[in-house]
Amino acid sequence: MRAQFRIRIRIILAGIVLASLLIVARLYFVQIVHGDDYSQKADQQFASGSSGLFDRGSIYFTRKDGTLISAAALADGFLVAINPQTLGNPEDAFSVINSIASSSLSLSHDAFITAAGKKSQVYIEVAHHLTSDEGKSLSALQIKGIQVLKERWRYYPGGTLASQSIGIVSYGSGDTLTGQTGIEDVYNEALSRSGDSLYKNFFAELFSNVGNLLVSARDAREGDVVTTIEPEVQTRLENDIAKVNQKYSSRESGGIIMDPYTGEIIALTNYPAYDGNDLKNADPSLLGNPLVEQIHEFGSIMKPLTMTSGLDSGVITPETTYNDTGCFVVNKAKICNWDHKARGVIPMQQIIVQSLNVGASYVATQLGQEKFHDYFTKLFGQKTGVDLPSESGGMTGNLSKSEQVYYDNMSFGQGIAVTPMQMIRALGAIANGGFMVQPHLVSAIRLDSGITKQLEWSQKVQVFSATSTRETITMMDALDDGPLYDGKAKIETMSVAAKTGTAQLTNGQGGYYDDKFFHSFIGFFPSYNPRFIILLYTQDPKGVKYASETLDATFLDLVHFLINYYAVPPDRGVARLDPSPQATSTNSR
Amino acid sequence: MHNFISRTWSSLPTICFGLVAVLGLSYICLIAVVMNYAALTVSFSQSVKNDEAVVAKLESQYLASVNQITNTNPALAGYEQPVAQVFVPAKSVTALR
Repeated sequence: MRAQFRIRIRIILAGIVLASLLIVARLYFVQIVHGDDYSQKADQQFASGSSGLFDRGSIYFTRKDGTLISAAALADGFLVAINPQTLGNPEDAFSVINSIASSSLSLSHDAFITAAGKKSQVYIEVAHHLTSDEGKSLSALQIKGIQVLKERWRYYPGGTLASQSIGIVSYGSGDTLTGQTGIEDVYNEALSRSGDSLYKNFFAELFSNVGNLLVSARDAREGDVVTTIEPEVQTRLENDIAKVNQKYSSRESGGIIMDPYTGEIIALTNYPAYDGNDLKNADPSLLGNPLVEQIHEFGSIMKPLTMTSGLDSGVITPETTYNDTGCFVVNKAKICNWDHKARGVIPMQQIIVQSLNVGASYVATQLGQEKFHDYFTKLFGQKTGVDLPSESGGMTGNLSKSEQVYYDNMSFGQGIAVTPMQMIRALGAIANGGFMVQPHLVSAIRLDSGITKQLEWSQKVQVFSATSTRETITMMDALDDGPLYDGKAKIETMSVAAKTGTAQLTNGQGGYYDDKFFHSFIGFFPSYNPRFIILLYTQDPKGVKYASETLDATFLDLVHFLINYYAVPPDRGVARLDPSPQATSTNSR
Repeated sequence: MHNFISRTWSSLPTICFGLVAVLGLSYICLIAVVMNYAALTVSFSQSVKNDEAVVAKLESQYLASVNQITNTNPALAGYEQPVAQVFVPAKSVTALR
């Protein structure tokens, strides 16, 4: 019994000694043999942990077939930091970094040498956004005092594509990267990540917060944002708008393409814009979104709204006639047609087709100030509620004036200033049968929990009757099929409703310039069941007076592109199609 | 009866030690499982992020291609405008035609 006990004790002692030897051997290899490697790794972990890897949800464009394409994502690579206390020769270090990653260096040669001289500091970042290959090459050199660390940053695959709507992230006033403009700002709560890593917290939460572990509030809040912006349509719109702006040396130009029934924004742009990946060279004044922040007097594209208000209230019908005198005086102010010519007794349709200010004033007078106020307050008296930050309201103070001249001016789009988003929403009410929809850019949020949360945008306000909007559409249709673009706008197989607008720009002293204009264009198709409504504008184009000269071709290019891209079926000009593939109609463009 | 109580009383420390050992072992196993799970989750999450970054790069090439095509003048590229457009009835996507 005693001998057995002694043997057991010896076996246990031998085990302990063996284990001790193994530990000592392991310590020898860790501390002596691979000591430098582990030391460097530890330094890197410390530096990386202190800044933390940036994390944020993605924003997606949605192609026409439903495929999601990244509008904002995360890119990963490496950053380079120096430790001035251990860095050897700064000149050599600079030349090595410069030879491998010159485009990523954030410091000039002199700034680098100055930074390397700050011996009281142990960590200074000198280069960012190195590619994986560059990072590995530099890391392989194992230069003392140079650390190559993993880095992640916000990346916009489209560059300038919808940049003002997608927005940017920056530090702002805090010490964390948050959305500052556009969708990045509005949906910051869904896109931002709390940053507490699973590795650090999972075990603690197991004991301290089991409920949160099972049903994570974070997973029900954080996710990716899916927009309604179609990347190819967006590209087309941006290119067309840029061409207009460059051709006429305009101060700015913009456009919106929307589904008039749902309020889904298919594309929107303002030129000039900026590249979200190159904010260092971006003009800060361009970071906002003029489509919702700036207001304009849109001119004659307001006439269809005046006409529909008159028709809806019953004070006029399409058959109503008036005597167009070319000019008239009201409250001591003279209001004239664009060409100062009289047309005599003409029906209402000609007000739209020939864009007659005298005729629009006639409708406003028939409508009366109270009804005019009611209709235009419904149309422009509130913000659209679009999911973009810093939305402005319209300048509609003249709706409270008692002099008729203000109402006459507003009837053809002067003396009332609204945002492009308000304008397309109001004109969308004509396109869709009388309803004001809520324009929006985001359709859904794909939560980290795996659930896709569809956003609710179905709120609609009826402003006009379907009959009155149809009568106005007939007038706008006649413009497109008639004089627009010198008669070349008509598409035999597609009805298109359109209206141009030219407004004088305000001079800031209570008056208007005689030679500076704001051109606008509104159109939708197919006229009586529209898939798309398009609003275009260009501010202060040089060498041209009327919108029909600047925006007609751009509008028609977009219409033809959308018809082809979405395969919008013809709504006229084609005989009833026989099911047999051979029995077809042809049409030349 | 007396023997049973006596035996139970004398083996109580053994039962307690056994219980502590089982609980301790369970605790260590739980830690191991949880740490492995957390490590795997972090690793998977990083892997997904890395893949997403690669996809985003590819998507930027796609968007650049779209931009290039949009900016291309078809006439300069040798294409001609079709002389006619032919409309045909859409085929049903269901089996019932």
